[in-house]
Amino acid sequence: MSNDESMPLTDKLYRTRYEPDAAHPHVRVDAEAYRRAGTKKLLKICPAEVYKPAPNDPEAVQTSHENCLECGTCRQAAPEEGVEWTMPDGGKGVKYRYG
Amino acid sequence: MSSDDTVPMDAIVVGGGPAGLTAALVLARAGRQVMVVERGEYCGAKNVGGLLYGSVLARLMPEYVREAPLERPVSRRRLTFLADTEEIALEFGAAAWSEPPFNHTHVVHRSQFDRWYAKQAEDAGANLIEGMVVDALLYEGDRASKRAVGVRLRGDEEFRAPIVILADGANCLVSESARLALGLRPGRVRQEYAIGVKEILGLPRGTIEDRFQLEPHQGMALDFFGVPFRGLIGAGFIYTARESLHLGFAARIESLARSGLTPNEVIEGFKAHPAVRRLIRGAELLEYSAHMIPEGGYDAIGDLHGPGVMIAGDAAGLVNFSLYKEGTNLAMESGAMAAETALEALKAGDTSAARLAAYRRRLEDSWVMSDLRRYRHVGEVLAGSPDLLDLYPRKAAKLLTDYFAVSCRSKSEVQREAWRAFWRGLPKLRAARDLWRARRLV
Repeated sequence: MSNDESMPLTDKLYRTRYEPDAAHPHVRVDAEAYRRAGTKKLLKICPAEVYKPAPNDPEAVQTSHENCLECGTCRQAAPEEGVEWTMPDGGKGVKYRYG
Repeated sequence: MSSDDTVPMDAIVVGGGPAGLTAALVLARAGRQVMVVERGEYCGAKNVGGLLYGSVLARLMPEYVREAPLERPVSRRRLTFLADTEEIALEFGAAAWSEPPFNHTHVVHRSQFDRWYAKQAEDAGANLIEGMVVDALLYEGDRASKRAVGVRLRGDEEFRAPIVILADGANCLVSESARLALGLRPGRVRQEYAIGVKEILGLPRGTIEDRFQLEPHQGMALDFFGVPFRGLIGAGFIYTARESLHLGFAARIESLARSGLTPNEVIEGFKAHPAVRRLIRGAELLEYSAHMIPEGGYDAIGDLHGPGVMIAGDAAGLVNFSLYKEGTNLAMESGAMAAETALEALKAGDTSAARLAAYRRRLEDSWVMSDLRRYRHVGEVLAGSPDLLDLYPRKAAKLLTDYFAVSCRSKSEVQREAWRAFWRGLPKLRAARDLWRARRLV
């Protein structure tokens, strides 16, 4: 593909190799803390768009942990928004081929 | 479950990156039993980087430039300041940078390099456990007598050792929990992190060499400042690998959050600049990645040792955040120093905090902390003078292009106009102050 047009992020993420751990989400957002903070930094700061507004409630957040690049930016940017982050199980998650 | 049936370990290293693997290599070479626990399926699976600074590696493995999976040496560097469409660049290099030891700077794919380095540590006798997560350390005693005695893996398996070296990287959950548990003091200022976002862009080898004017055995590192980064505390880069480019940017997380921009908007804006677009034309995205960088510098570094514990590499905050942007060599030096300290402590049969304080002294007396002390104000300067990365690069690029504008007007008129445009909107007193402060960046 040429770079004359910018590529949507979802297409970019397809190029990165993952071994998702569907049963054990390693990222959670405390709904109450997120609502209380009201700052919604998570929606923008994540380089993998793990955090999206919930379809039925724009004041809530929906997480897609299987896209997570495990950088930890959300933990630093918005702890007050209730990010609960643990490491994925061993060998799971992102697996860079180049890095 | 415990590991009573296995050889007792002298040391356990958490994290198989440059810091942890160096520690393991040094300990194994000295005949000690050392185990490295890496959460990725293989070492490097979670790691992102671009440039490997190999000055410490050269001391430990003089043959690394022939044996390691290095993509290209950095034969030339270019600093480019970008205005909306204008650009101004400073390029430099030396023939010696294309010959051994290549100024100890190579473009690498970290996932491949770290894997190779892990093999070297393993060949030296280190025990490598990949694909296992350390959830916490094991402790004995309480309050003043509390000390680390090993690690607990997910699934409740435990490994014990008199010394644990924490090298769990920038997003260091294990180090954070150990700091709390052992009451290690934080740095004088809060640790600040940047987010680095990068794309690996595939291009044929010949195209890269033609486009960047390289011989087959040469490579280049380009840094970009100015307009695409929209006033962020951040900058962009392109590094030439053999058959791909590393293209990305790093920006202070707090400044990115304040801007309301998404990382993808920043990287796309960077790629769309005419000075960048022509360099990546026709390239195919091979991988998209993100990683944090601790940028707080010297004053953000807290205690790096406690009873039974030492912290090394990014987890310790050992990154030279200046024009040099060195991290890998500081990580390796800290890993080596932690290992040397461990060897002395094991020999003396004393792994108390007082004994392991020798690790901090080693670091303080070395080039590692000397460099970090020298650049301790960089973050402050950039945060206090945001124009350094935005307005001034734009002004400089515009001045030069205006100065060389060809027209039927007289040169004196063109030059006067160029200078007038330059001074317009430039707060002179503040600019003088900012430029004076900028000396601390180099």
